[in-house]
Amino acid sequence: MAINREKRPLSFYFLAAFFALFVLFLYGPMLTIFILSFQGPRGGLTFPMNGFSVHWFGNLFEQQAVGDFGGSFLRSLKLGLIVMVVTVVVSFMAGLAFRRRFYGDSIVFYLAIASLIVPSILISLGIGLLFNIVQIQPNWFTSALGAHLTWTFPFGLLIMFAVFNRFDRSYEEAARDLGASPWQTIQYVVLPMVAPSLIGVAMFSFTLSYDEFARTLMTAGALNTLPLEIYGMTTNVTTPVLYALGTVTTGFSFVVIAVALGTLVILRRRGAK
Amino acid sequence: MAATESKRSSYFMITPMALVFTVFLVVPLLTIIVVSFWDYDEYRILPDFIFENYRYLLGSPVTWKIYLNTFKYAALTWLFTLLIGFTVAYFLAFHIRSLTWQIVLFMVCTIPFWTSNIIRMISWIPFLGRNGLLNQALMGMGLTDAPLEFLLFSDFAVILADVHLYTLFMVVPIFNSMMRIDRALIEAARDAGAGAWNTLRHVVIPLSKPGIAIGSIFVITVVMGDFITVRLMSGGQSASVGLQISNEIGLLQYPAAAASAVVLLLTVLLIVAALLRLVDIRKEL
Amino acid sequence: MTTENTKPAKTALIDKDVTRRGFVKGAAATAGVAIGSGAITGFPTIWAQNIKDVTLRQFGTGVSNINAVADKVKEDLGFTLQMTALDSDAVAQRAVTQPNSFDIADIEYWICKKVFPSGTLQPMDTTKLSNYDKITPIFINGKLTPESVIAQGTAPHTVGFVESADSVEFAAEPTQWMTLIPTIYNADTLGIRPDLIGRPISSWTELLNPEFKGKASILNIPSIGIMDAAMVCEAMGEITYGDKGNMTVEEIDKTMAIMIEAKQAGQFRAFWKSFDESVNLMASGEVVIQSMWSPAVAAVRSKGIDCIYQPLKEGSRAWGGGIGLAKHLSGLELDAAYEYIDWYLSGWVGAYLNRQGYYSAAPSTAKNFMSEDEWGFWMEGKPAQGDILSPDGNIMEKAGAVRDGGSFEARMGSVACWNSVMDENRHMVRKWNEFIAA
Repeated sequence: MAINREKRPLSFYFLAAFFALFVLFLYGPMLTIFILSFQGPRGGLTFPMNGFSVHWFGNLFEQQAVGDFGGSFLRSLKLGLIVMVVTVVVSFMAGLAFRRRFYGDSIVFYLAIASLIVPSILISLGIGLLFNIVQIQPNWFTSALGAHLTWTFPFGLLIMFAVFNRFDRSYEEAARDLGASPWQTIQYVVLPMVAPSLIGVAMFSFTLSYDEFARTLMTAGALNTLPLEIYGMTTNVTTPVLYALGTVTTGFSFVVIAVALGTLVILRRRGAK
Repeated sequence: MAATESKRSSYFMITPMALVFTVFLVVPLLTIIVVSFWDYDEYRILPDFIFENYRYLLGSPVTWKIYLNTFKYAALTWLFTLLIGFTVAYFLAFHIRSLTWQIVLFMVCTIPFWTSNIIRMISWIPFLGRNGLLNQALMGMGLTDAPLEFLLFSDFAVILADVHLYTLFMVVPIFNSMMRIDRALIEAARDAGAGAWNTLRHVVIPLSKPGIAIGSIFVITVVMGDFITVRLMSGGQSASVGLQISNEIGLLQYPAAAASAVVLLLTVLLIVAALLRLVDIRKEL
Repeated sequence: MTTENTKPAKTALIDKDVTRRGFVKGAAATAGVAIGSGAITGFPTIWAQNIKDVTLRQFGTGVSNINAVADKVKEDLGFTLQMTALDSDAVAQRAVTQPNSFDIADIEYWICKKVFPSGTLQPMDTTKLSNYDKITPIFINGKLTPESVIAQGTAPHTVGFVESADSVEFAAEPTQWMTLIPTIYNADTLGIRPDLIGRPISSWTELLNPEFKGKASILNIPSIGIMDAAMVCEAMGEITYGDKGNMTVEEIDKTMAIMIEAKQAGQFRAFWKSFDESVNLMASGEVVIQSMWSPAVAAVRSKGIDCIYQPLKEGSRAWGGGIGLAKHLSGLELDAAYEYIDWYLSGWVGAYLNRQGYYSAAPSTAKNFMSEDEWGFWMEGKPAQGDILSPDGNIMEKAGAVRDGGSFEARMGSVACWNSVMDENRHMVRKWNEFIAA
């Protein structure tokens, strides 16, 4: 605690300034998007500004000349949520399994690492070719879901490793000594303790899936997800409506993150009681 | 009895993950390997067993040029993400003392990631362009007379966008390693008279190595396989291995794409194997 | 939102429904055609009640996969058309590799040359189309007027027909079986920023003129880009091609050597692959001369920036697109698809496309849906009497404006070459990749 009372060293201010610059760097382009999304009705994707209006925000919710933002957004949202739920459940299960050694555990572990490092476009190509050869129609909720899971599982598993490596087993033993069944132990002891990390896994996997482009490219089938739609849009949309979309999704992200943070705080308070 | 019981439950618990990896990772990769030996014409892939795809790929000077270019992107991106990522992680781990603030600052860094990568990338264009914000600012301040052309549609732009997109992936694992450094060690170093710099060099950096290795693996593999950043930020003027594969896919030359993919995969595996010698990931988590 | 996704599962259900009751419907539809052909409007000819349940999935480039068309189909024909817009690479890819993911393919003729032989499309019976005879002869025998010379490259009529209903061999002469029903086409040339160039431009050679060093761009779709490159090299007098649409290995190598040299000298600012990139490059002043597509020029102009679609003395590079039917279509869906195609030729879409600066495959029907002033401006090269509006109602050209390149006959009459796929395609793509990596 003594450290806390210490005066901030000079390096703190340097590093704080560096961090501020880093944040500025992350948000800089967002700022361009933000400003340009308020282009006038005749404005383009680049400077100079051509008037000032909220025209493109309204336009975002209208039918575009081509494509379908609404449908692909809903599809991406649904896919992201499915990926999220599946990743949380499966990673948690795998995390529990990995607490003991079992035959083949290192194979699964190295598969997870491989899944992390194989370039996304190869997953896309491989699944696309596979489905093509066995004559199965790719679809966002089959092949694309699988492609996304190969991306989110490794993260989920690694986070679970980090959690369980530092997990104090004496709580479980205490529960067992008190006569709890294995399932009860998980439900009432393990789950509440790892819940914050599971929320982390959930947010992480949703984010990864929601914005995944390369893995979806050849696996989405007939209907586009949002990143594919945006990519498709760039082939024929020349209006700031893309930027309006960027501004709206960022706003949406702030809301979701606020909700997630709120949940975390509430969970912690409950844990503290 | 209990042991077999628990073993069985382990198998049950791991099955879903193993299954997904088998169907969507192992089998597709095998498919790529098989197809890389196939032949193709303008619109079909023809089952065969030929080495033509590899022969052309490895024999063409273009391939070597493209790999060299890709290595350049990967190396420079790695260097910058490492420097920036380490500094940011150091700040968050050692100077921010409350967990809540750490989480909040992390969130601040994460939010931009929820806007489509593609949109974030194309938003650099109006910023860096010939008549973009930066050039206008520079000329307005009288620092330059003519717009700086190298800012956009150049290697500079590609690496800038890569660093922008991937630095966070370096921050997280390094931060994770740093948080696990026993603070008493740092106290001890200081008590022994080590300055801030020596503490950093002899205590913090060695103990952050696992995080650095994990972050590096991530950044390097992502950049090695990237195609969209290179295409958009170089104005289509540069090539990377990923872009070559995506072009071949676009032109329906799947066997050629598959052969390129196999070579890329081997390259990436070699790099990762080298990095893994520095760290045992499973122990370090 | 008519393009709102109906889940494929639902479509599959309809499929099943159709096959189960297929026979009855087929009979009803045949009767319908018989009645309908006598109707005044020519459509709708299907009277089956469940036509409203039909959903046809169309995919293609953003050029003609317009939501307004789907809305109008719903209004005029009653069934649902689901549109997916992709880039031209992805279009070819999906047409070949995912034949069940679409019902109607909206593709270009050069892509058709690649795709049709793979057997994922079925030829169309022209006798079922009441508007077949309205199609411009460019797509039938390749000649705009009887005196026209057929341009080099994959001229649409050469891949427009097959011998029989189940053939994948292209026919030399028009037959009853058409691979694609033509919908849209245009003659492409270079786009320029006259305000930044300040002098007249009249030849393809200007693309490589060192005067525009660091301010030129070419499109990075190999099969199309090579054509623009060939137009330039030929205009420079460096190479004389036997057929620019089907170059020899030597011609390809020479062409690409010239382009690589220019690239290394810093001639190009960027290469573009998508429509918006070309618009942004031009609008932001990054580039002052480049390969361009007609509506991209219009898009730059609509932002109040001066941009010309410059007619050049060596002629232009043309492309054409059409719609084809997926192999798996049958029964009621097939009838609906025929209905749609005939409707496509009946004028409303044609007028819509004409107003965007493209050309309709059946000009005479499109004329009925355009005002005299519009027709005069877009098709006859006459000065606009009043303001010319885009399909969504924005002012595109002020009164008095004349279209770049003039009339339909002048523009389509000066085609030097059609977009194409070469026999040496593989070699060409490899060389092109060298160019990009150079």
